[in-house]
Amino acid sequence: MKFFRKKTETGPRIIGIFEYVDDLLGAIGSVRKKGIGIDTVYSPMRIDEIGEALGARPSPVRFFALVGAITGIAIGFGLSIYTVVQWRFLVSGKPIVPLVPFIIVGFEFCILFGVLFTLLGLFLLTRLPRFRIPSYYDPRFSQDRFGLVVECPEDQKEDIANMLKLAGAESVHDGTA
Amino acid sequence: MHNEFTYTSLNEKVIGSLYKPGLRYWFFVALAFLCLAVGMTSWGYQIAVGMGVSGDNHPVMWGTYLINFVFWVGIAHSGTLISAILYLFGAPWRNPLARAAEAMTVFAVLTAGLFPLIHLGRVWLVYWILPYPNQRDLWPNFQSPLVFDVIAISTYLTVSLLFWYTGLVPDLANVRDRSEGMRRKIFGFFSLGWTGTDREWVHHGWAYLLFAAFATPLVISVHSVVSWDFSLGVSPGWHSTIFAPYFVAGAIHSGLAMVLTLLIPLRFIYGFENILTMRIFENVAKTIIFTGIIMAYSYLTEYFIAWYSGNTYERFIFAWRAIGAYTVQFWIMIIFNAVIPFLFYFKKIRTNLITLFSISILINIGMWCERFVIILSTPAREFDPYSWGLFKGPSPIEYGIMLGSFGMFFFFFLLFAKFLPSMAISELKEELPLPRRGREGEQNRK
Repeated sequence: MKFFRKKTETGPRIIGIFEYVDDLLGAIGSVRKKGIGIDTVYSPMRIDEIGEALGARPSPVRFFALVGAITGIAIGFGLSIYTVVQWRFLVSGKPIVPLVPFIIVGFEFCILFGVLFTLLGLFLLTRLPRFRIPSYYDPRFSQDRFGLVVECPEDQKEDIANMLKLAGAESVHDGTA
Repeated sequence: MHNEFTYTSLNEKVIGSLYKPGLRYWFFVALAFLCLAVGMTSWGYQIAVGMGVSGDNHPVMWGTYLINFVFWVGIAHSGTLISAILYLFGAPWRNPLARAAEAMTVFAVLTAGLFPLIHLGRVWLVYWILPYPNQRDLWPNFQSPLVFDVIAISTYLTVSLLFWYTGLVPDLANVRDRSEGMRRKIFGFFSLGWTGTDREWVHHGWAYLLFAAFATPLVISVHSVVSWDFSLGVSPGWHSTIFAPYFVAGAIHSGLAMVLTLLIPLRFIYGFENILTMRIFENVAKTIIFTGIIMAYSYLTEYFIAWYSGNTYERFIFAWRAIGAYTVQFWIMIIFNAVIPFLFYFKKIRTNLITLFSISILINIGMWCERFVIILSTPAREFDPYSWGLFKGPSPIEYGIMLGSFGMFFFFFLLFAKFLPSMAISELKEELPLPRRGREGEQNRK
């Protein structure tokens, strides 16, 4: 599965709408076996089996979280140390740069920036916020139906539509925008 | 959650709660707003006339403002804790509670965050206490727990808000798809164009997991930091290493009780009996028994260590708490927090909504009194009898502001329950059997 996609929501597409998840998984398998590209699979909730059928890998959002957490630790310690060296006050007989209390500041910033970077990663990877919803999006996808969007050349449209119907699609329609 | 739901009926049940609330709902909204207005007026009066009207004076300077601050931070704990920790452990009873509990956290932190501002007096100078190098020659002491507190609470508010919102986005899109006109536009804007694609779910799932992983240690750190506001002070009754775990357990104790206080009426008003089942409330009650045991153990440990240390001042303050000027609050604290929760050992009590609701209120009163005893007793009886004194309040202004804080919290929660999906629809759907053509999924057919 590709994580970063080109903006290609205008090519020829066939949309299959499914009521049952096993039909959808069967259709994904058949389409992939034929070497045809799957553009998107819509579902009303997270279903791990769909990701597995599409060959999804763990999300790189993890790396955003890691970079954010390390950045946060650096900022937390950096802010504390930079501030205390401006004044150089001796507090409770401790060193000018007492690292133990700064661990708390570093920890809180680690969490804060870890979360902020995770959110940034989520937005970048999912391309959210999105201001235009694809015209073939069916509102039932957020309720009780599954959608399979298949990229296909004009001359194969009929074959693919038949294949989706055979797999159990409730309805199939042309989704070319 | 009961399995007789289908995806459609679950949608209709939860989204249906966003439409046409009855008169009873508006009555409670008006009541909460009235309390909020009383609080705002009281604060406005205090700003106009000066801090003297609060009645807080030497040596017990903090008065009820800090009690309420710690109380609301405590309430804020269980929301994110329930949501994050139970998510990490995959507890199945988490999903119906999570959304409302997270909302409770956000509103409770917002309420808590007001109290340091209220107690500042000149609230317009609040930026002076923000810890950053500045041209005003103000020295932010990064060794002070009060500076830790500013950082911890603002981090907690940000993280809780984002955790809540991220989980909410798929459900906002769901409401958008079932709405028209202005409502559709508003939900469309806040759902960020979410459509439930495979990529969105994969990244969202990982991000949500990471949020939970970040939020769990944060929850524990925030109330530990709040406890250090006291325990880093070298005063009898405060200067103890037990404070961090003791405060964290207390926060979870009060937060769980508040979850019951909020969700039992929510279940009744919206008819969520099949989502917020008795088994879920029973699990919360069992967790309260666990936190109640920790509270009882902490109270006993404090007394044992005060006696065992041989320190005159420690022995005195703990004896004075039990039989001194604040004896009523002390015994309310002991009985409501460390005795009454054990009634939940009886199945009949933990499966009865009236007893669950009543005990949850008693625990909240007990936890408020705990903060009263901890925060007000030590400054009243420190080392030197010359500087002893008692808290004379609460003054009418303090009562007004306290009432306003409850009004604000419930006002926000009522608005949330009306305008946003109060149950996590997409996560509840994950609990239902997948719709399969075979027998396994038949029950989920439309």
